[in-house]
Amino acid sequence: MANLWTIIKKELRRFFTDKRMLVSLLLPGILIFVLYSIMGDVMVNNLGQGADQVYTLKVENEPTGFADALETVYHLDYQDELTSEEALLKIENKELDLYLVFPVNFLDDYEAGLNPTIEMHYNASSMTSSTMMNIYSSFLSNSLQQYGMDVSNHATDIDTSIMLITGMVPFLLITFLFTGAMAVAPESIAGEKERGTIANLLITPVKRSNIALGKIIALSIVAFTSAASSFIGLMLSLPKLLGGTVGFDFSMYSVGAYLMLLLVIISTVLIFIVMIALVSTYAKSIKEATSLAMPLMIVVMLVGVSTLMGSAATSAYLYLIPIYNSVNSLVSIFSLEFNLVNFILTIVSNLVVTGLGIFLLTRMFNSEKIMFRK
Amino acid sequence: MKVILEVNNLKKTFKLSKKQQKIEKTKLKVRVAVNNLSFKAYEGQIYGLLGPNGAGKTTTLRIISTLIKQDEGDALVDGLSISKSPEKVRSKIGFLTSDLKLDDFFTPNYLFDYFSNLHGVDAKVRNERKELMFKKFGIDEFKEVKVSDLSTGMKQKVSLVISLVHDPKIIIFDEPTNGLDVITAKTVIDFLLDLKTQGKTIILSTHIFSLVERICDQVGIIIDGRMVLETSMADFSVPNSLEKRFFELYEQNRGEIYG
Repeated sequence: MANLWTIIKKELRRFFTDKRMLVSLLLPGILIFVLYSIMGDVMVNNLGQGADQVYTLKVENEPTGFADALETVYHLDYQDELTSEEALLKIENKELDLYLVFPVNFLDDYEAGLNPTIEMHYNASSMTSSTMMNIYSSFLSNSLQQYGMDVSNHATDIDTSIMLITGMVPFLLITFLFTGAMAVAPESIAGEKERGTIANLLITPVKRSNIALGKIIALSIVAFTSAASSFIGLMLSLPKLLGGTVGFDFSMYSVGAYLMLLLVIISTVLIFIVMIALVSTYAKSIKEATSLAMPLMIVVMLVGVSTLMGSAATSAYLYLIPIYNSVNSLVSIFSLEFNLVNFILTIVSNLVVTGLGIFLLTRMFNSEKIMFRK
Repeated sequence: MKVILEVNNLKKTFKLSKKQQKIEKTKLKVRVAVNNLSFKAYEGQIYGLLGPNGAGKTTTLRIISTLIKQDEGDALVDGLSISKSPEKVRSKIGFLTSDLKLDDFFTPNYLFDYFSNLHGVDAKVRNERKELMFKKFGIDEFKEVKVSDLSTGMKQKVSLVISLVHDPKIIIFDEPTNGLDVITAKTVIDFLLDLKTQGKTIILSTHIFSLVERICDQVGIIIDGRMVLETSMADFSVPNSLEKRFFELYEQNRGEIYG
């Protein structure tokens, strides 16, 4: 028993007296709290559930008092002037959130116990339409007891595919990009320090800025190759992955969309490589670099998770925040709702941050305290 | 004779962590590794820096090679200041130390080309130089073998050759025969003498008296970061007189390093 306690004490001492290890252990909790708190607000706004969200709907034969009850909580824009055909077309085009048709004498039939059926039309590929559908359904189930619902989803197959792709692929892609960068950057920089090969490079006449840039470009190419391979594999396996409910056809997206996707991916790879390169340059070994990069990974994962709802941020200033901007740009591109200004802000912001990172990396390469830390 | 390396009042201190203070049993927060060190080395000569472990030899050589920066003082390498023109200085210096390792994944052939390119050596010159040096050190036999599969002696030969890819004017060797078998050590020593005949200046750090006596033209004895003696090897013509003098100086100077 004494031996057991000795071993436990030694192991605990190893973890709790190492400042770096302690930071790695405790930082995730702090990061999760901070990020979720910030992202919570942003996501609520992006999902169309903010206090200012206006839902558009057309309701035929709506019983008296229903609209008043709903409008005490939600901002509703009734478009009663639309014809039935126009309403259905707008639902399909995601220009109207909900179209309901109550039977002419709904309340009389309901009170007579005839189980009257309400026609409900919505578009599942639109976040606000789905939300409005849920709001109205909940209102009905809370207000009434016996009635029928005939629900029609007007989302096209392509819309459904795009929605599922938008909800899942950006998160997976951002994960692939980060893991690709994690696989190569610590080995190339911290590994060189650990093995003692970096000094051979530092005594050549090559400028430290060129060494930094050379490393970043080479590592980015490797990380990009890894991410591209994972991405193509993912897209091709999507139909099976989603149980045949969605099909991916490369023609769903235009050449311009692919080009923008490529630019976002490249700029994101650069950001990831620069971040991990900075950590790796500071670290003494690959193990330490990997450990120090863990909080970064948590940040990336958390930001990536925000895309699972499939809706991109709309505020332009959010596209100045690295990683967050990439994730949202990916969502915009995959959902075919991209905004050129936001896209440009993403690329410029990522390139500026990459440039600053390379500058910092050069400074670190020039610092003997960092490069020859023991 | 032309002065090719002029070291003027170099000083370098290292902050001591609490862990280091405990190991070195001192309360001082700073250790003076190199203390006002000056010396001159001439073209076509071998200069031996002699001193015990921790005397500051390696730190001095790392400063001259621009790997680390001095706190005070300067050094001129073929007229170029290590502070003002570190990149140009690097092209004039070849540095070999056991701290510099070769990347295990690559072959001697690839590494020679790689470092030649970094030094901007012309491809034709590079190939001629490579052929000559690989032949001289017997590297031809394993030039396409990955470094990870080479023996310590083979790796040392490759490191030596790679430190000279750019035909530097000054060659700095930090303990060049450390860990080598007698055959490889002899090859290295013969090569140093060969370089000297080519007019190269060699700065050699060692604690092996016999090596200094055998190949050096000048010697500087460093103890506790200070140059306590700098003289011509002609002053030590009597066998073992260098070793005797060294221990006399060591007794006189030890234990004054903390400031």
